[in-house]
Amino acid sequence: MKMTPALLIVGALMVFWASSFIIVGIPSMTMKETPSDIWRPLTAEEAAGHRLYVRNGCSYCHSLFIRVNDWDIGAERIAQSGDYVGLEPVILGTERTGPDLSQEGGEHPDDWNIAHFKNPRFTSPVSVMPSWEFLEDSEIAQLTAYVQALGGKAADLRQKRQRHWKALAVTAYASGEDRNIEWLHAQIPEVWRRMPNPYPATEASLARGKRIYQQFCINCHSPIGDGKGVAERYLSPPPLNFTILRRHLVENKYIGGIFYYQIMNGITGTSMPYFKKHLESEKIWDLSNYLGVYFVGYTDANIEPRGIDAAYEGDWENSYPVPGTEQPDTGRPVKAGR
Amino acid sequence: MIKFINKPKSAALAFMAAGAVWFVVGALYGMISGIHLVAPEFLPHSSWLVFGRERPVHVNTMLYGFVGTMLVGGGLYYLPALLRTKLWSEPLAWVSFLLWNLTIASGPACFAFGYTQGREYSEYVWLADVSLVLAVACLIVNTVLTILNRNEKVLYVSIWYFMATFLWTAGNYPIGNVMWHPATGAMPGLIDSIFLWFWGHNLPGLLITPLATGAAYFVIPRVTRTPLNSHTLSLLGFWLLVALYTHIGGHHILQSPIPAWLKTVSVVDSIAMVLPVTIVVMNLWMTARGFGARVWGDPAARLVMGGIVWYIITCIQGPLQSLPYLQRVTHFNNWTVAHAHIAMLGFGGYIALGAMWHILPLVTGRELYSKKLVSLQFGLLTFGLTGFFLVLTAAGLIQGGAWHNGETVHRVLPQLAPYMVSRAALGIFILTAALVGLFNLYMTVRHGKKLEVRQLQQAEEAL
Repeated sequence: MKMTPALLIVGALMVFWASSFIIVGIPSMTMKETPSDIWRPLTAEEAAGHRLYVRNGCSYCHSLFIRVNDWDIGAERIAQSGDYVGLEPVILGTERTGPDLSQEGGEHPDDWNIAHFKNPRFTSPVSVMPSWEFLEDSEIAQLTAYVQALGGKAADLRQKRQRHWKALAVTAYASGEDRNIEWLHAQIPEVWRRMPNPYPATEASLARGKRIYQQFCINCHSPIGDGKGVAERYLSPPPLNFTILRRHLVENKYIGGIFYYQIMNGITGTSMPYFKKHLESEKIWDLSNYLGVYFVGYTDANIEPRGIDAAYEGDWENSYPVPGTEQPDTGRPVKAGR
Repeated sequence: MIKFINKPKSAALAFMAAGAVWFVVGALYGMISGIHLVAPEFLPHSSWLVFGRERPVHVNTMLYGFVGTMLVGGGLYYLPALLRTKLWSEPLAWVSFLLWNLTIASGPACFAFGYTQGREYSEYVWLADVSLVLAVACLIVNTVLTILNRNEKVLYVSIWYFMATFLWTAGNYPIGNVMWHPATGAMPGLIDSIFLWFWGHNLPGLLITPLATGAAYFVIPRVTRTPLNSHTLSLLGFWLLVALYTHIGGHHILQSPIPAWLKTVSVVDSIAMVLPVTIVVMNLWMTARGFGARVWGDPAARLVMGGIVWYIITCIQGPLQSLPYLQRVTHFNNWTVAHAHIAMLGFGGYIALGAMWHILPLVTGRELYSKKLVSLQFGLLTFGLTGFFLVLTAAGLIQGGAWHNGETVHRVLPQLAPYMVSRAALGIFILTAALVGLFNLYMTVRHGKKLEVRQLQQAEEAL
């Protein structure tokens, strides 16, 4: 075959346009926009937030669709084509430097989102997301509105739950520190309240707990556990002060199960997220031991009821004195177990 | 001024020089983005330097600015040279130069301040889209009329690719950028992702690939001083490229809820892409067969051959990546970033640079200021990019494996730090390579030893 100008130009165009017709022409003629069960239109403020999302390149690190093989946040809802009706543009995304956001709406209350936009490390210490503090407060509010709408009607349901519990949590906090803790503990299912930490608070366990604390908790609850972390000024109710828990142990000895439950499930309505997607059982128990030993000065690790010790466990005995029974302070640190 | 823009080969030189400048700009933005992935608080409080705004500047400046511009420059030289004529209109080529570079300059000027259409590879605002399409239209007119005014009967394969690039881009770019919706540059609803990835994949496939292939077909036989291995293989490679490549954008959204038949087409044609790629690479390798020393001994040809090697690596990886089974682990993470870098900097960038160094003496009439600096650039790039590829692929596998096994994105982030640090460090090599190249180009144009007329004729006739 000899390549002539006519063959080159006409041929190149014909093959290209025929192929293009198949790949964009036919979908244009056949794809229908049918709203899915969770779809709803965006409000004006949410739409403004969507423009900000597009203009600031959020899509380079966050995807907007969940696949069948995903586990992370939002994984309960595998994306359907009807979830995107009318959005212009739909930016599905190609990278997950940060988590998928297609179901982010209602995962956190608004104040958590605002703190997170101001500086993502306030709420997620290991994040590499840039700080958006240079945006106007009104723009951050629009972005928050958009993020809270991600997930459509499913997000609205989660948002309703957030608002319901937020009102109660704010009231409880306003009633005083101790009343607040009583209210919080009353929300924990009965079986968890008298459950001691089944993991020995060994040095290794505490070191692991510390690592988790630094990766997830430190910027709200602060390095000394008093709840005055850098994020505190944005959050209502503010993060919990662990150091006053000493006077709220169940039967003056149980706290592990309460910690576990709150870390696992979060406290919806407050900025305390659930961590059960990030952390599995041992990590949460290690973290509970860390909180207890370092901020409460006591852990219920391995006390009765404890059943049969697991095969790997050494002969670790809990030597943390129950509050009120301590020896006079020698000024030396308490020796943590054996 | 009039005299200047009428000077033969001046537009080719301008395109190549602009490419070298954009390489430095793009690499600088890449460097800062790389640092931001390790140290997000680096250069804080500067709204125009946040990851979401600097990444599109990096990507678009590298794609269109460095690789695209430099390859167009090379083509504007070899098009008339291979046809034994002059470019039909030098001033018209300067008009394309101006429009093309306006589009690229709109990247740093607009994205940094939030003026973007936000769709990956289609970020340029509408006016910049118009400017680019007009530039392409001018290039079509110039190329067609140069071909019609030729003194050489045979159309060499490089000409096919150079001509077709602009014919395809003139259709591709407006469709993928949904230019009939100026405000958003997007279609409403999920179908937008099909338009987006139509161009998103045709940009490397039907803009950069044909330009780079054309340049490689020009440089390799000249350096080895052998005729092209096979005309038939050239034909097959060319027609299969456009027949298959156009279909495969869907593999970027393979796991999203687009119609199943589109996924099937994109996977099948992605696998089939092995054919045109192997055909082109084999054709070039067979041409150079037995003359490896000539290729290795010429720093410019070494870069071109390096690009061909990256091409085959990229295009073995690409089809494999399109398999749903593999994509469960490789999608959404740094694996893809590694792949994109070997495609654009490895394949497109190496060939653009190699062709530029090969052609530069022919358009300036001056010897290269320093061949050693070209070798240095090759070394810096090869070390930087190989490291980049390995480190990012490893990081991607860690992310993908962990996610697939149920770990969350947040949980895996801290593990990536050593890889991201290495990646930023390797970026220094790439940035240095860009700077060395720009310096060498400047010194050649200003202070390179002038070639005598006889030497220049000899060099031009080498084909």
